[in-house]
Amino acid sequence: MPTTREVLRATGRAAAVVGVAAIVTGLVGAASLLPLPVVAAAPPSTIVQPAESRQLRVCPGPLLSLADDAAAATAARSIGEPDLVVAADPADAEVAQVDLAAPDDAAGAAGPVALSAEPGAVMSGMLAGAQSQSADTESLRGFAAADCAEPASDSWLVAGATDVGRSGLVLLANPGEVASTVDLRVIGETGPVEAPAGLGIVVAPGTQRVVSLAGLAPNVRTPVVHVTSTGAPIAAALQHSVVLGLDPAGLELSTPTALPAAQQVLPGFVVVDRRGVATDEDHADGDDHPALRIYAPEGVEASASVEVRDEDGAPAAQVEVELAPGQATDLPLGTLDPGTYTILVDADAPVVVAARSTVLGPGDDPIVADLAWTTATGPLLDGATVAVPPGPGAALELANPTEVDVEAIVSAGADERSVVVPAGGAASVPVGGGDRLVLAGVDGLHAAVTFRGDDALAWMPVPPPGPLDAPVRVFPQ
Amino acid sequence: MFPRVTAVVVVQHGGDRLRTTLEALREQTRRPDDLAVVLMGVDDATRRTVEAQRPAHVVSLGEALPFGEAVELVARTLPDPAEDRDALWLLTEDAAPDPDALEALVAALENARSAVVAAPKLVDWDDPRRMVRFGRTVTRWGRSVAVVDGELDQGQHDELSDVLGADSAGLLVRHVVWRDLDGFDPALPVVDDGLDLGIRARLAGHRVIAVPAARIRFGDVGIAGPGSEPGGRAARRRARESRTERLHRRLVAAPVVLAPLHWLTLLPLAVLRSLRHLLAKTPGAIPGEFRAAVEVMVTPQRVVRSRRVIARTRTARWSSLAPLRMRPDEVRVRRQQAAEARRQRARGRADDLMFLQTGGGWVLLATVAASVVVFAPLVASGGVAGGGLLPLSDDVGTLWRNAAAGWRDVGGGFEGAADPFAGVVAVLGTGAFWSPSFALLALWLVAIPLSGLGGWFAAARLTERAALRVLGGLGWALAPPLLDALAAGRPGAVIVHVLLPWLAVLMFAAATSWAAAAAASLVFAAIVACAPSAAPALVVAWLVALPLSGRAAVRLAGIPLPALALFLPLIVQQVQRGAPLSLLADPGLPHGAAEPTPVQVALGQASGTWGRWDEALGGIVAEFVPPVVVLAVLIAPLVLAAISVVGSRRLRGGLLALALAILGFATAVGATLVHVAFTGERVVPVWAGAGISLMWLGLLAAAVVALSTLRWGAAAAATVVIAGGIVAVAPTLAALALGQTAVGPAPERTLPAFVEAEAATDPRVGTLRIEPTADGGLRATIERGSGATLDEQSTLASTRRELTPTTEEIATLAGNLVSRSGFDAAPAVDDLGLSFVLLGPGSEDGRAAAVEARARAALDGNPQVAAIGETDFGPLWRFTDAEADAPGARLPEPGPIAGWIVAGQLLVVGAALLLSIPTGGGREPDRRPPSRRRRRRPRPVPDAAAASSAAEDDAVTGTPPEDDTDEDAAAEPVPASAAARPTSPGEPDEEGDRRADDA
Repeated sequence: MPTTREVLRATGRAAAVVGVAAIVTGLVGAASLLPLPVVAAAPPSTIVQPAESRQLRVCPGPLLSLADDAAAATAARSIGEPDLVVAADPADAEVAQVDLAAPDDAAGAAGPVALSAEPGAVMSGMLAGAQSQSADTESLRGFAAADCAEPASDSWLVAGATDVGRSGLVLLANPGEVASTVDLRVIGETGPVEAPAGLGIVVAPGTQRVVSLAGLAPNVRTPVVHVTSTGAPIAAALQHSVVLGLDPAGLELSTPTALPAAQQVLPGFVVVDRRGVATDEDHADGDDHPALRIYAPEGVEASASVEVRDEDGAPAAQVEVELAPGQATDLPLGTLDPGTYTILVDADAPVVVAARSTVLGPGDDPIVADLAWTTATGPLLDGATVAVPPGPGAALELANPTEVDVEAIVSAGADERSVVVPAGGAASVPVGGGDRLVLAGVDGLHAAVTFRGDDALAWMPVPPPGPLDAPVRVFPQ
Repeated sequence: MFPRVTAVVVVQHGGDRLRTTLEALREQTRRPDDLAVVLMGVDDATRRTVEAQRPAHVVSLGEALPFGEAVELVARTLPDPAEDRDALWLLTEDAAPDPDALEALVAALENARSAVVAAPKLVDWDDPRRMVRFGRTVTRWGRSVAVVDGELDQGQHDELSDVLGADSAGLLVRHVVWRDLDGFDPALPVVDDGLDLGIRARLAGHRVIAVPAARIRFGDVGIAGPGSEPGGRAARRRARESRTERLHRRLVAAPVVLAPLHWLTLLPLAVLRSLRHLLAKTPGAIPGEFRAAVEVMVTPQRVVRSRRVIARTRTARWSSLAPLRMRPDEVRVRRQQAAEARRQRARGRADDLMFLQTGGGWVLLATVAASVVVFAPLVASGGVAGGGLLPLSDDVGTLWRNAAAGWRDVGGGFEGAADPFAGVVAVLGTGAFWSPSFALLALWLVAIPLSGLGGWFAAARLTERAALRVLGGLGWALAPPLLDALAAGRPGAVIVHVLLPWLAVLMFAAATSWAAAAAASLVFAAIVACAPSAAPALVVAWLVALPLSGRAAVRLAGIPLPALALFLPLIVQQVQRGAPLSLLADPGLPHGAAEPTPVQVALGQASGTWGRWDEALGGIVAEFVPPVVVLAVLIAPLVLAAISVVGSRRLRGGLLALALAILGFATAVGATLVHVAFTGERVVPVWAGAGISLMWLGLLAAAVVALSTLRWGAAAAATVVIAGGIVAVAPTLAALALGQTAVGPAPERTLPAFVEAEAATDPRVGTLRIEPTADGGLRATIERGSGATLDEQSTLASTRRELTPTTEEIATLAGNLVSRSGFDAAPAVDDLGLSFVLLGPGSEDGRAAAVEARARAALDGNPQVAAIGETDFGPLWRFTDAEADAPGARLPEPGPIAGWIVAGQLLVVGAALLLSIPTGGGREPDRRPPSRRRRRRPRPVPDAAAASSAAEDDAVTGTPPEDDTDEDAAAEPVPASAAARPTSPGEPDEEGDRRADDA
């Protein structure tokens, strides 16, 4: 028989064990639930602003017409001369304008213009040029505006078509001092197009070459052109013109869209009149409806969500789309009210995108009078310059995909305006042809210049400086 | 006419010994003619006792003086000697002569006319059969030794006659000679006064004789001579005094030309002798050694005075003393006898651990097998890599240069303190000097078996039961923190885990041994070097151990010293930066890891998983039972066993073990909160594994202690705990064996072959490595030669929060190289000594890929670099104007401060190392508590002892079960064993025997 003393002792021991167990549980619980202070520091880094280098922009040059001369159906011929506007900050910076040779121009006229500013004259991104030109010939009719782009070794042209009545010309300008070897790879609605002729195009220094898209990829409705160069970088552009029946029906000069990324923003997408094709329509033929061309370069199946927002940031259309691997797709955007929209693309793989809109001509049974390609743009840095070429109804479109309101300063000479761009929304600033704008406080915004007349429609991006000029954060340990 | 003898008695304490001495003087067969007394600060009672004897001369002093000065004071008051034969008899209150002592002494002086000093035989006060000292001489090297030292008197030295000198107590000196020689040398106040007097008498042409028939009972309380007060402090004082006097005699006896040379050697000799003290485990004597040397060096006037006195009286040659010196063979015999005595003392002192009988062999076998199975792919390879593992520098010299303060060859290079971890790496690498990187592979292969051994030995300190020792060994070898560290490639954490049980074992042993204390201090330093985050917990444990260990605290006190010496420069630099918490950063290659939650920490997981049960068997298990439940159930037996210790008899040890576990838990959780190191854009958290190892140690110790008190069922309980622990880590073991962890066989190189080929001719060739980061930035680092090494890493670099001019320059260069830029790279390339640019590794991630594309385009278009081509590590470029052996790449000369820092660290660590070398047992006194000594007695049935030791211990000691001091003394995870030790070191043996006899 255990004595009372032993029983007491055993009880005490059991109580001690339970007590310690409770303390231990309490400790672990407290450590899990209580907010514990964290000692944290930030890794040291610095943002390196690349040393200034020569700033270079190349304008696409005069519009070219194919097959004006039946004897040389494949020869391109320049028509007229574009209006060129150059903007720089500071405004008195010395900007040299050099005409490039255009050996492929049967007319023998002056080629495109290269703008250059010596190191230190302007900051990167603070030099801009733009051109505009109207055409009204047998095969070309419409208004086209384009920015003078920065040469790059890797660029994507998302525009054009080569089915019946459509023609496309790829313009490759080499403003550098060494030759450049360019490879053009065309991807269409059925996948990559075998086109050996597109590979190894040598562009001599200081010249522009013109390559017919139809020659590379005939009968493709949704071409996407990937331009890569070794040697000197190339400024590429694509001239897209349409002939419906016998009537010319619109033209556009499209410069490279933003590089592949999972998120893309297309600012200033203009819809002039209420026409459209339902987004789930599989056979949306023709050009006369708003559509988005999208391609995922990785060759993987991808899904993308496309949101069309109006100026207040309210969604006007939303499309989910599965992208077949390796194929470029034209996606109808449905019927949209006239207005200016921002298109946001959110995909699970990097994509390149551009959107097409058209304007009808006058008359009871109007045909398309002009078309415009809206490409994706990169986010602007804090400041930018914009050259607005002459044209009807010019407006600067600012889109704000961020989640805070941004107050931008738009100054044209002495005239300075403050524009609040709401979070997720956009703002439109009417500008005049020939204006030289300087933007400030536009960090993170996307911008474009649109032109709309009765029978004219054009779009040109306000691109940020190329990634090679952008400041970069470096962690040196 | 008889010569007149004046007895001079020096009195300091009075009491019984004085009365006995005075009585003995009265009873002399030949009574002294006069009595002169020196009273040194005595009370009135003593004074009355003395005055009752009616001394002819009394000198009263307020304070105690050395014997020689006291005698000299009273001798001056004496009248001039009437004739040559008059003598002084120098006595102290604790020197009681036998009745015929003076008669024998006087007769000896009378019979030998040339003899002027007669020395009696000093015998023990309480046991007159024992001789204390008799006669004194010097060895060939001038060490003063007693001719007879502590022997039983069986008449074996009764033929002794001519001696060089003798101890000062009891000497009969002719008064005239005393005056001639100017008495004792005041520079020799303690030990060698009588010896020196004898030497001078002999140099003056006289003789000194020993008189065996004259016996004086000698108390040896320190009035004359060094005394025999027990205790370390008194022993250190005696050692210092005898050293001082020996050095003084050396300077006095040296030829005048050589004296300055001897003076110059005093300090170097002190240094050398200090090394010997360390080896002989008498570190306490080192300060006295230096004090003696300095004291003699700064008092040349004493030497001059002594030399003058000798010069005045000397008639004989120094060489005439030679025959009286101790013969070398006699010295050798004495040394052999001392060694034999030490061996005798050491015999039986080591505890018999019964390694094979109690499962040690099985633990070793099982852990070796586990290691071979788990690391089979590594065994075949030449190295290990992944996670935080990098190769080591190829030559041992570089390893040690990286371990020393000076140039840190990382992040562009800077001047700064070294991580102590680099020292650990250097030690490892030196062990595999033919290919230092092999040391890491070896570490990986032996980590599990070594941990098993450590766990077994630590458990053996706590229990004698085989099952529980095996629990300690296997529980430690397969502890989750060790396997997590092995899987994550964290050499520091692995070393910490391997060493922790040895630290515990050594800290136990440190209670009784200097060698163990020094070894513990080195292990402590290694652990803290490998995991600075464990330092606070270890320091707390040490602070708790200090008061608990009683008098052993003196040996424990120095344990953090080597660690402090190694860390001090780092501490200074981090405090100067204003970031002392940065000291907690893990050394080695900074690399990120998932941070465990507190619950994961409590379950022993450092890697932020649930013991990999989440993905075990393809996630099948996790589908049915949440991994946290699986893990908790498997760890539960261990935790329950550990907690149940509070209900056991060994409460104190158990509570300390639990406290250690909680300390470890707090350390681990705290580690996850400290984010002070960076690699590129990522913050590197402190690895929680070191804290978890501490926690695991506490849990295992508590469990072993708790189970050891069970009367039955301990083996079954231990089996359950072990089984749960093994199943808990099974997924981790499987992942290791299948190569699903960060660690794997080492690749052939860490930089492109092209760079490596260049490094063969230009070992300092610089490569700028540019890595795109996930946030769209880039990381830029410089690697030299054939790539980054583990030893060159520095927490000073990884915890830096600001840019330095060098890193700023690297950033500017890299930022411009990846941009279209008008930047002229030549000056920076020159400054930093760069030859190559390596881009990569590439990333799938969008923003990183964009930066990579940008960098590639920019570099391709940059005329300042020439593309070499694609490599396994990414595209490589070469700076066109790079030159071999660029000035910017060369190692700068280390500054003078670095030299001093290294010297200081070497001094401390070297001292600890020397002290830790076991130089034969028995040098140190047996400081073990009686309970442990008792155990070495043979047990009647050794096998039964293991099974029921706890119960039997109580029965043996005859104490009630609550009073388990003995058990606890042996059981504490911190060495509190000495707490129960009796105060007198001389007695424990007897007490131990007594307690055993009681049973």
